[in-house]
Amino acid sequence: ADGKRDVVDPEVRAYVSSLVTALGGSGADEDGRYVLGDDALACLRDLKKWLKLYDEKANRLDVARCLAESNLVGGDLLQILAAWPENATDDRLKSKIALACLELLVPLTWPLDKNSKEMTVNHHRHVPYLEIAQLGYKRSIINFDGARILHTAIRCALPSMAVDMGDQSTRDEGIIKLLLYFVRNIAMIAPPPNVQYEGDEAEISRSATIDAFDYQDVFHLLLTVSSTIGEDYNTQDVVVLDILFHLIKGVDIEKLFLDEKAADNSKMDELVRLRKKEAAMLRSYQTNAPTRHNRFGAMAWLQREDAKMTTISGQAAATDSSRGLAKMDATKKFKPPRRALKGDNGPMDFDTPVHLSVQATKHLRAFVEEFLDSGFNPLFNHIRKAIDREAERVLEYHPRQFFYLISWFLEAERVRRRNKKPSKVQKSAVSEEVDSYSLVASVLNQEMFVTLNRAMDYTFEHKSWQDLSAAMKCFTQILLTVHDMSESPLEDDQEIAENILNRIFYEETTHDRVANITRTYKDQGFGYLDSCTELSHHYLRILEQYSKQNVDLQVRSRRRVRRKKKAARAAGQDDADDDIVDESEGEDTTRAERTSHERKFEFKRFAARFLSQGCVDTFVTFVAYYNDLKSSQLKRAHRFFYRVAFKQEMSVMLFRVNIIALFYKMVKGPEGLDPQSSSYKEWDEFVKQILKKCTRKIQERPELVVEMLFSKINSTAHYLEYGYEKQTVTTK
Amino acid sequence: SKGKSAAALGIDEEIEVTRKPRAPRVKLDEHRLLSKNGIPKLRKKAKNLKFKGKGHEYSDASRLLAFYQLWLDDLFPKARFLDALAMVEKMGHKKMMQSARMEWINEGKPHSGVH
Repeated sequence: ADGKRDVVDPEVRAYVSSLVTALGGSGADEDGRYVLGDDALACLRDLKKWLKLYDEKANRLDVARCLAESNLVGGDLLQILAAWPENATDDRLKSKIALACLELLVPLTWPLDKNSKEMTVNHHRHVPYLEIAQLGYKRSIINFDGARILHTAIRCALPSMAVDMGDQSTRDEGIIKLLLYFVRNIAMIAPPPNVQYEGDEAEISRSATIDAFDYQDVFHLLLTVSSTIGEDYNTQDVVVLDILFHLIKGVDIEKLFLDEKAADNSKMDELVRLRKKEAAMLRSYQTNAPTRHNRFGAMAWLQREDAKMTTISGQAAATDSSRGLAKMDATKKFKPPRRALKGDNGPMDFDTPVHLSVQATKHLRAFVEEFLDSGFNPLFNHIRKAIDREAERVLEYHPRQFFYLISWFLEAERVRRRNKKPSKVQKSAVSEEVDSYSLVASVLNQEMFVTLNRAMDYTFEHKSWQDLSAAMKCFTQILLTVHDMSESPLEDDQEIAENILNRIFYEETTHDRVANITRTYKDQGFGYLDSCTELSHHYLRILEQYSKQNVDLQVRSRRRVRRKKKAARAAGQDDADDDIVDESEGEDTTRAERTSHERKFEFKRFAARFLSQGCVDTFVTFVAYYNDLKSSQLKRAHRFFYRVAFKQEMSVMLFRVNIIALFYKMVKGPEGLDPQSSSYKEWDEFVKQILKKCTRKIQERPELVVEMLFSKINSTAHYLEYGYEKQTVTTK
Repeated sequence: SKGKSAAALGIDEEIEVTRKPRAPRVKLDEHRLLSKNGIPKLRKKAKNLKFKGKGHEYSDASRLLAFYQLWLDDLFPKARFLDALAMVEKMGHKKMMQSARMEWINEGKPHSGVH
């Protein structure tokens, strides 16, 4: 533009900027008001044509770049939208102009695809600039002073939304989609990873987005669309899914549901906790820090066999041999090549935690509760059908969002119930109506299990790890919800839960899948590791509880079924094969005893699948992050190792030098667990037990000294553990 | 003849540049592991390993870890303890190592009547 060689064809730039100029402007004559140009609508339409016929057709981003440089959004479009007063909604020309603005805003804020194979030189030239420009768009749209831009955008679509679905024209449908895509784009725009945004991040943060959505009635829009999906709307479901995903990904549910006072307290607690953690860290450093200045120059040597010596500098070695060894190790320079983790940092990543302001937390919580009450079932049911049917609008990334959102909302529902409970207990005498789980029932039916199982199989086979991670999260939350349901005071809930658990318990393919996923972890990143350890932990735990379910409970459930059947029979619906009705109480008990015995055996067989070295290694990799893990995560690892070593009596699987070294370090440091933390005690106890067993085993079976270096295959492990070969039946 | 013609033309003869091959990198492979300083030495030294038992779990463990660390430092000095452990573990999947491991285990087994 300034005489230097331009990155954009000068002719294109000339055309586009003349259009932007002709659109209108503000001047001193009009008190700084924005005045539309004579042919503003035609200008807007021309600009749209430029975007479509030049940028899109020729696969360039030149026009978008020119528009970003000429400040079309902040200088013109938003001004025009702001000048469309509420009472002028009937003005045909003005609403047409507003709609034309929206039609420009959507392509301009559209997410830039950086990974496509169709990227040209132009893309590489423009994308970094446009990414920053989009941040600017978002900032001016959600923080616009003069008017509520998002609200105005919704007004553009209101006439179309008011039409019944049957009567909606393609144009109406398109306009609603346009609006939803606009909202999606705004929710999605975020600073790209590794780019430092120069402006105030608070203006475009998630908190700012949520506050704007609340203030500008976007939440109402989302609730309306999602609660009446299938009735008034149809194809818009995936866009709503997209919006919800970008709104809530990474939000911590526990924090969301703390009430304000508790939140204040927890903030203080958080500060205290962090200070304590820091103090513990410093303490452990100080016990190892040199007590004299750094040029004091102590030198120690370590007498090795064959009159060999190793010298170690610094006073650490002089005081403590293990610290001397650590120092000796630390001075080595060689590093074996290591593969990078395959995480995902793009916009579809959901593992990065997000912090919300107090205001935003309040707004989002209100929205989430309303969504659970009205929108959850219709929306997710509708989308599940679309996914099953492989509808054209369902894109590759939608299943991931679908499963992630279900897991998120199910957890939110569980936390909400848990928080409600204390007040319930006080009023229990009144026995108020207890909420059933029907609010989330749409994801607990058999069809959902089919979809989920298929997705887990497919993603596992195709190595799309992030998708699998989302599906695993979903499965975990379904399991936990079902488990909560089985403890519900409502009989119907109990019965449904029991049916589901019963089905899962005998589904060998699912057992195999969960065990396989856990066994084969390799470099998929921490988020995936977290999901798969969480799934296997809860899966084992819930099935174990189910297998232990006492006889009494089963008798009761049989009695319940019988009562139901009797009632059904009385009502005249005769089922041909209900043998249960004619049994007596005594038969019930013996039958129940038999099943409970059977289940115990089944469970043992199932749990044995997790004894492989692969599963142990996965949990070892997980617990190696011990200093960054929450106490619930540490507990998860603890329970697993405890199960392997003591419940299943295969502690040999843990006797490998690196595992022992890790356990030792966790408790004894340096950089171990904080001795004042809640997890420290159980780990200390556990590690001590393991070490005791390990040293005893070495004395008992000297072969273990060598085997401690290696992963053991099952037969070796069995021999080392029990001292005899496992009897295996071989059939020829 | 080529050299001759080159001399006749007054061109310097081609000088062959030979670069000294880089010293091969030392690797922690199964041969090193099975050599005298490898696992056989570990097995020999393990006989002197003594534990104090109950109440001394952590000091016993630290002695055990030091035992492995010093052995690995002798065998493959350039790698750090945990890195070297990972390499050794990887070697354990090799055919040669596996048969050796089976042998060591069978040595320890009580001799039964079945052969």
